Amino acid sequence: MRIVTRPLADPVPILEHHPDLVWLGPDLQLIGFGTFARLDPAVGPDRFVKAHEAFRGRLSELEAHDEVQTFGSGPLMFASFSFDENSHGSALVVPELVVGCRRGQWFYTSIGDHDPTWLYHPAGTGLGSADRPRYAGSSIPDLEWLEAVDRALELIEDGALEKIVLARDYAVWSKSTFETRRILERLHNRFPECFVFSIDGLVGASPELLVRVRGSGLESVTLAGSARRSTDPAEDARIASELLGSDKDRREHAAAVRSVDEVLSPLADRVFRDPDPVLVDLANVRHLATRFRGTLEPTRSVLDVAGRLHPTAAVGGTPRPAAVEAIRRLEGMDRGRYAAPVGWTSLDGDGEFAIALRCAELSGARARLFAGAGIVSGSLPEAELEETRIKLLAMLQALEVGNG
Amino acid sequence: MSEPLDPWDRAVLEAMNVEDELVTLDELSRRTGISSTILEALAREGLLIGSPGDTGPLYRIGDTEAISAGMELLGSGLPLAELLELARRMNEAMQPIAQDAVAVFERFVRDSVEATATTDTEAATRLTEAFRTMLPATGRLVDHHFRRLLIASAERRLLERG
Repeated sequence: MRIVTRPLADPVPILEHHPDLVWLGPDLQLIGFGTFARLDPAVGPDRFVKAHEAFRGRLSELEAHDEVQTFGSGPLMFASFSFDENSHGSALVVPELVVGCRRGQWFYTSIGDHDPTWLYHPAGTGLGSADRPRYAGSSIPDLEWLEAVDRALELIEDGALEKIVLARDYAVWSKSTFETRRILERLHNRFPECFVFSIDGLVGASPELLVRVRGSGLESVTLAGSARRSTDPAEDARIASELLGSDKDRREHAAAVRSVDEVLSPLADRVFRDPDPVLVDLANVRHLATRFRGTLEPTRSVLDVAGRLHPTAAVGGTPRPAAVEAIRRLEGMDRGRYAAPVGWTSLDGDGEFAIALRCAELSGARARLFAGAGIVSGSLPEAELEETRIKLLAMLQALEVGNG
Repeated sequence: MSEPLDPWDRAVLEAMNVEDELVTLDELSRRTGISSTILEALAREGLLIGSPGDTGPLYRIGDTEAISAGMELLGSGLPLAELLELARRMNEAMQPIAQDAVAVFERFVRDSVEATATTDTEAATRLTEAFRTMLPATGRLVDHHFRRLLIASAERRLLERG
């Protein structure tokens, strides 16, 4: 069996054929069909490195021929990890066929003899009728979540924590199956600057690039500190200025930046980062962002770096071990793959991983949505609850009927 | 510098505060069984309105009824985040109406009483009586109207679905 990567002359309709795996970034789009291998990274702190080893091991006997030689060409593994290193449920899938587009250049990679020309024919199946998402409850009631935030604030006041991110879930059901393609189209239209993904039932749109590795080049973006958007431009500008000047948000952001800096500095030469946070504006919410760039040590893979970064203070807290322990105790739920690395890797360790935010775990006519908020000294429980409500709305709207 | 209140205005002010016992937030929490975390959040959101006290804000014990009603809604399955959002919007919408209603009371009841009363005592009595009649009547009116609005909205929704 051979692995071949060849150019495609014409663009492929990305979502029309209901791909099994989807990764739509601003510069690179990848879709995967079929399953060549499904791998299990097990649990534990080294599961990211083990995942890459398993991928390389599974393909080691195969000869690869890449005529395209670009970022994203060659055999790939799509991966979505569980948030908690002790939890099973990570998904690692090596598709049989990958179609990619990098800055207008189309190509495909096939493991075995897969002719991709069928992708140019009209899809046999369209979208079925859709029902609205109907509320089915949460792992813990909002009231208890509010009290969990209060207990987290006590831990911060006692000095046990500097920052913690607490998440909550929101289950919905529908009278018809939630169609991944419909949700992806909506997310991609509404959040074109985000990484839109679908891997083994986890569907979402993440604004946060955990790490991109291309050769020795490394990039990462940290988002922490958020504010709502307003449809009134003057009010929107006022909120933006308030966010940039907010002591609470700046402290929350600084903790997240420090945690990324501490991980990247030993792994990379010359790590550069924005001296001050910049604003990242999405359709429904605005974040404080800091971009990192560096030159990675040659032996490091994207999964190695992702594993070391996870969980960043933007989704866990600081100090990290105490925050992770408090999350287990206070949240009253398993996050599943929410807030964990999601993305793709090549055999040689290139790849992109985002943090699975603004996402839902789909299972037929049921879905579980997630949203979290960073708690620091001075946080108000009701304001954090409202922040999670606004974040949940973004995914709920993607699941709504008639939000094309 | 504000001028001293007229005696009849002072009487109305007193009438506003005799109805309810004022308690601290901790005491309100004890009596309602609702954690002070939740009550503090409601107070910050402007949904629980305190009066200035010597050692901090004081809350009317009558507010427990509204809190209990909120807890019943939560107990029936409404998520707190959604309830708070509705309450916030209602609070925003009702504030200017409440201010206008007070202005209307002032213009058409208070000023009229002031013009026609023969003594301060008579003015105070008439105004206090008017206040004691009008406040619960306004409450009933708003309650009734909002109920009608809710039912009409629900009917429309059901008919659209059917």
